[in-house]
Formats: sequence, structure tokens, C-alpha cells
Amino acid sequence: MEKISPPGLRARLVGLLLAATACAGLFFAQSDPVRAEYGDVVINNHSDAAGVRPVVFPHWFHRVRFRCKVCHSDLGFKFQAGGNDINMVKIIDGQFCGACHNGSVAWSVENCDLCHSGKPNTPTQVHESTIQSLVGTAAPPAANAKR
Amino acid sequence: MKRHLAIAGLATLVALGAAAQGKGPGKDVYEKTCALCHGPGLAGAPKYGNKADWAARLKAGTAKLYTSALKGTANGMPGKGGNLALSDAEVKAAVDYLVASVGEAKAAAAPAPAKAVPAPTAAKAAPAPAAAAPVAVVPAPVAPPVPRAASAAPGAVATVDPNAFNRLLAAPGKRNAPPAEDGIHDAANPGTHALQPPLTALAGMPPLGAGNRVNWVSSLDGGKIRPRWDRDDATAAAVVMDLNIVREVKGSMPDVVYPHKQHTEWLDCSNCHPQIFIPQKGANQISMASIMLGQKCGVCHGKVAFPVSECRLCHSKKKDAAPAAALAGAKP
Repeated sequence: MEKISPPGLRARLVGLLLAATACAGLFFAQSDPVRAEYGDVVINNHSDAAGVRPVVFPHWFHRVRFRCKVCHSDLGFKFQAGGNDINMVKIIDGQFCGACHNGSVAWSVENCDLCHSGKPNTPTQVHESTIQSLVGTAAPPAANAKR
Repeated sequence: MKRHLAIAGLATLVALGAAAQGKGPGKDVYEKTCALCHGPGLAGAPKYGNKADWAARLKAGTAKLYTSALKGTANGMPGKGGNLALSDAEVKAAVDYLVASVGEAKAAAAPAPAKAVPAPTAAKAAPAPAAAAPVAVVPAPVAPPVPRAASAAPGAVATVDPNAFNRLLAAPGKRNAPPAEDGIHDAANPGTHALQPPLTALAGMPPLGAGNRVNWVSSLDGGKIRPRWDRDDATAAAVVMDLNIVREVKGSMPDVVYPHKQHTEWLDCSNCHPQIFIPQKGANQISMASIMLGQKCGVCHGKVAFPVSECRLCHSKKKDAAPAAALAGAKP
């Protein structure tokens, strides 16, 4: 009798784990300052709904390699975070990111988690932007939800 | 012959098994950070367990390997594998673990099933055993969190140094944070640790007081960076137009000099004209308020180009003293 039955034990463990995760989530959401790089864009048009992490687009990384004109003129990216209706079909079809991320100019689409690397539920926005500091939607999940 | 192979195979399994039995931090760090490249051998990375890949590197000595792992190499190895949250000891433990992997393969190839020897190297650098595990929740124990919102409880600031309090600015050590620590990347995502940390790219560039903390324009002028003008053609040159437009501003600030040159080095005419700016002098109403809300110049400045805090980069032409004095004198 002194042995706890496996299912009971598992249920307790799962419960404990969930509680711990919830506490940790709350704690980190509040105390975790966002120190993203200037111009990092989080794009979350479809990601959360599709069950993948939102995309983080680092402007600085691309700026070292290409002038603005390549993407914003030749490839047709609008100057608007989330304003380009990008999806994986278009990318695989060679549009938007897919113009370079095709295995020839840059690595190809099978490296999902290099782009889809943002914290889940982070809203679409340009990080460290002036408008973000004025309107204030910096923090990802919980801190943002309460606004 | 077959039997020999079978024995060799078995020995490999045994040896790998021994390695897999948690050789402390080295293994953890390897799996979380290094394995992404050193597992499949991406971008020329020496593969885990591949003797041929490691032979030349081992000859150079373990100290050299430690340095390469800690500081990065010109071949593409980022410092600390791109995960700057790791301590030096953890990185060294991971190196030991990788080195041990080829030692093992050698032992296993010999017909005698040598007892796996790699333990001592991997075990010796074990001062931070638990540190590798919480990578998933990495930003936890950072110094006093800078409260973002004014509503944050004032009592929460447990700092002794009065100068340490700064509500809005990131402290110098906290700028250009590596992806896993920047608060928007998910540290639990393996790909996050493969991304280039900003400082490895921005370090040598001329500094600026805001934005990415580098002066992109002078970086380009000085040849520090050579971003392509064309997606495919690395030799294509920008179509540069050298024409300054002076905008006289109403207040006491110096007038604005808008240089087409620096803008056309990055952008195409059609990026701004006619959508954002009507290409006619005096036809565009621009105010700092609209810029800060992301209109006009604010489409880029305040998002990717230097922000409005750098007033004098635009407001750079001193007003003529004479007309102002004449105006003052003319007043009744």
C-alpha cells in the first residue's frame, strides 16, 4: 500500500509540472525586459493560429548583406510590419522571403526554426521602434495580454 | 570478417552508450547548442564523432580548440557557438565532449573492445553542472530588471547603486543582446542558438548613440560592410543621386538638410516617391509628431534607420542670423 500507483503518481507529477510552468510563465513575463535589436520585426500574422512560433526578422542581419532596395523595391516588401501577406506557399513559390531563401542565395525553407524562432503569442511589431516606445506593446505574452 | 564488423559495431554501441550516460555539462551543452552544426556537420563544422574532421584540429592542441570555441573562428564558428549565455567552463566541457567523441571512435575501431576512456576529460570541467539545463528559461536571473511600465511597484527596485536606475535605456552591457537573451526569441527553440549574435556582425562598425548603436551610413561609406545592391549580382552598383534639399524649419532648431546621396545608396527612388514624399519642393507637410508616429521620414527613421533622438543628424544647418535679426527688428 505504501507504493503510489503509477497513474496517480503521473497525474501528480503532471499537475506539479503544470503549476510550476504557470508560475514560471507569470514570473518571467513580468520581469523579463525585452532587449531586442533595433529594427527586429516580429511577424505573427498566421503563426500562432498555425501552431508555430512567430517569425523574427532581423533587419540588422539583412542590412549587412543587402541594401534596403533589394527587398523593399525589387521584392515588393511594403514598409509595414505585418503588412505583407506572406505565407509558406508564396515563399516556396519564390515570392517574398522565398526570393532568396531558396537554397541558392540563402538557406532554404526546411530550416523552419531559424525564422520561426519568436516567443509564442508575441504580437506583430517593430521592436525598439519609436512608435513602440510611445504606444508601448513591447512585452510578449502575458504582459501584453493584460493591456 | 562479418564477425569482426559485428564486434566493432557492438563496441561502438557500447562506447556511445557510455558517452550517452550523461557526462555532465559537456553533453548537455553539446546537445543544446553545438549539435545543430556539429551533429550534421553544417557549414563545414567538424562532425561529432568524425575522426577525419577532427584530426588536424586536434593536432593544434586542445588549448587552441578552446580558444576557437570561445572566441569563434573565421570559418564561421560563432563565439561560444552563438550562445553567449554559456560560461567558459561550459563551452570547454562541450569541447571536451566533442573531442572525446573522436577518441571513442578510435577506440571502438580497434578490435579489442576498449573500455571507453573519454570520461576524465569530460568530467574534469564540471564546475557548473546545472547551468546548461535552464537554457530554456534563460533570462531568469538577470540583474535588477528594468521596470518598463511606470506602474511597476517602486519597491521592486532592489538596487544600491543610484546610477543603476534607468527606466528607459538599456545598460551598455545589455545592448545588442544575443538572440537567446533578447526577450523576443524563444530560447527553447533550438534554431535560436544557431542565429548570429548581433555583436559578431556589428562590433567593428563605427558607433552611433542610438538604434543598433552603429552608424550604418559611415559603415557603408568606409567599406566596413558591402551590402549588395542586387539580389544576385554582387557587382551591381547603386544608382546614386547627389542632391541636398534644405528644409527651413519654423522653430529654433537648425534647418534640415536632406541628402539624396546617402538615401539613394540604400534605396530606390520608388521607395519614397511619390508614395511617401511628393517629389516637389514645398509640397510635403512634415512634422516631428508625424515622424514619431511612423509617417514621412518616420517610415524608416525610428524603426530601422537612426531614430529621432539623433536630432542633429537631420537638423544640421545653422540658421542664418541676419534674416532672423532683421525680422526681429521689423517688429513694431
